[in-house]
Amino acid sequence: MYCYRVSGLTVRSDLRLPGLIPLDVVAIPDVTIRAIVVPEALDDVSVTGPNWQRSADRFLLEIPSIGRFLLEAGHSIGYSRSADIGDQDIAIFLAGNVFGILLHQRNHIVLHASAIAVKGKAVLFCGASGAGKSTMAAALGARGYTLVTDDQAAITLDATGMPIVHPDGRFLKLWTRSIEALALGDRKGEAMRDRLEKFYVEPGVASTAPMPVGAVYMLTEDRAPRVAGISRPNLVDGSRLLVANAYRPTLVRRMGQRQAYFQVGAAIAHVAGIFMLTRPLRFSAMDETIAQLEAHWAEVGLTPAAELAESRG
Amino acid sequence: MRPTVWLTSYPKSGNTWFRALLSNLDPARAEPAAINALDSTDSIASSRGRFDNHMLIESGLLTFDEIDDLRPALYRYLAADSYEGPFDPETLYPVRFVKTHDGYTHTRHGEPIMGGAAAAAGALLFVRDPRDVAASLANYQNFTIDEAIAMMADPSFCFCAHPRVLTNQLRQRLLGWGGYAASWLDQRDVPVHLVRYEEMHAAPLPTLRAALCFAGWSIDDATIERAFAFAAIDELQRQEADTGFGEAPQTEHGKTRFFRRGVAGGWRDELTRAQVKRIEQDHAAMMERLGYAPAIKEDFEHVDQQAG
Repeated sequence: MYCYRVSGLTVRSDLRLPGLIPLDVVAIPDVTIRAIVVPEALDDVSVTGPNWQRSADRFLLEIPSIGRFLLEAGHSIGYSRSADIGDQDIAIFLAGNVFGILLHQRNHIVLHASAIAVKGKAVLFCGASGAGKSTMAAALGARGYTLVTDDQAAITLDATGMPIVHPDGRFLKLWTRSIEALALGDRKGEAMRDRLEKFYVEPGVASTAPMPVGAVYMLTEDRAPRVAGISRPNLVDGSRLLVANAYRPTLVRRMGQRQAYFQVGAAIAHVAGIFMLTRPLRFSAMDETIAQLEAHWAEVGLTPAAELAESRG
Repeated sequence: MRPTVWLTSYPKSGNTWFRALLSNLDPARAEPAAINALDSTDSIASSRGRFDNHMLIESGLLTFDEIDDLRPALYRYLAADSYEGPFDPETLYPVRFVKTHDGYTHTRHGEPIMGGAAAAAGALLFVRDPRDVAASLANYQNFTIDEAIAMMADPSFCFCAHPRVLTNQLRQRLLGWGGYAASWLDQRDVPVHLVRYEEMHAAPLPTLRAALCFAGWSIDDATIERAFAFAAIDELQRQEADTGFGEAPQTEHGKTRFFRRGVAGGWRDELTRAQVKRIEQDHAAMMERLGYAPAIKEDFEHVDQQAG
């Protein structure tokens, strides 16, 4: 058995799940992952998607050439693999995709975001796949900032109403072109799948502890009519953007979770701030974007302007 | 449930112009639709964000073929679902138009990637003289005209088939200029209505009216004529100069203009004899099938005058 902490939850799995935060032992895990015979369909289906079904407390996902996954009550994930699918191929879907659905099933707030730490607070970068979340976190990591999470950012409100981020793992996940452009070749670990040019990359420093949210940036490309820069949307638009940047927005809608996201959105906007970061996607513009960010952190009080260098690490 | 109609074309064949026209078909509209807010169509069929959101799968962890295996189910689901998601604009259009640059191909298991009859009621196939496409494509791709001609002749050319980087769209097989049109014209799953770019110029009203009629949208002639005025090339160019266009090509060196000339037959003063000849050889059969006649001596008068 393998034990991990993922997005604030303890996990016991019969399969090694690369990239996650390992734990020595877990007596009573929040989530159990094991091989089972996954049914072809659910009874009493209430909501269906193109390749998934949901009933009251069960969720069935099919990835045809990979396997089938059954999530029950937010506590267990059963999987069965398609023919010729090895441990690695099934594990990456369990650790990322399927766990993200489980968080939605548990009614957790989970954003599609990477995050780094600035002065002990998490700065999140939200966006759909390909928006540049991991590359942004990696570029900041190369400048000394601590990695907090990559791809999924589970958020809870503590007793004082402060939003807290729970890390999803301890590695960056990057495509070859980003690894080359950021000169991270010597930190490159194993491929996520043998047939893909996407790799686990050792971050300079990673935090595995929960961390309060300092700021949330929605990543967008500087395509017309948008121009490069940082702007602050109004409260309503900010909350809407938060829903649109949920890990799977369609689940927020179809599971009736919008209200919870609006609530957390309001809390983040109040204590931290939700911003739009519009910038060119090309690597050659990265230095300029990071300079804008660092200036912005001083402006919003995340860093004292004179101590910029100390904020790293 | 609104019927789904594909707006399908090889790139640079009038697809975006048509989308601009559709966005200007609202009888209550007082001024031209903003080119950066064309709300007449859903996001492109190959959008990665929409795939990931609805399939609940990170497509970046799947191979191109594995993604293709899942695309038919996505398109059938979206055609049957009235829900407008965060990647789709809210709309009052009577038809769900979806743009695509995917050739009509099949998965490893023989299923049509576009989902077949259950995913769309029909397809509007836009075609344009390949000699004009070559010049426009060179501008769009930041290619030389010879490189554009080679791309059009390459049946294996794909958009977004880069193994080393995550693109914001899924792989699209273009099949070459002739292969693209043939794949849609020869399939028997979805009814196809052919729209020639040249006819949109020569006979705008009847051409657009026929296309809308095929899609099941009846609209009065005055509104159609006003849409042509609102989406005239000089208006599109004016807006692009003013605000930029989000779909314009982006390169390391900056931005290239999207709305270039917007004319039919521009190749006569943009292509050399050798380039024209090569296109006509590469695509002889499909050019004949679509009614694009080979060049004659008079077509080169402009070039000859310049040379003389």
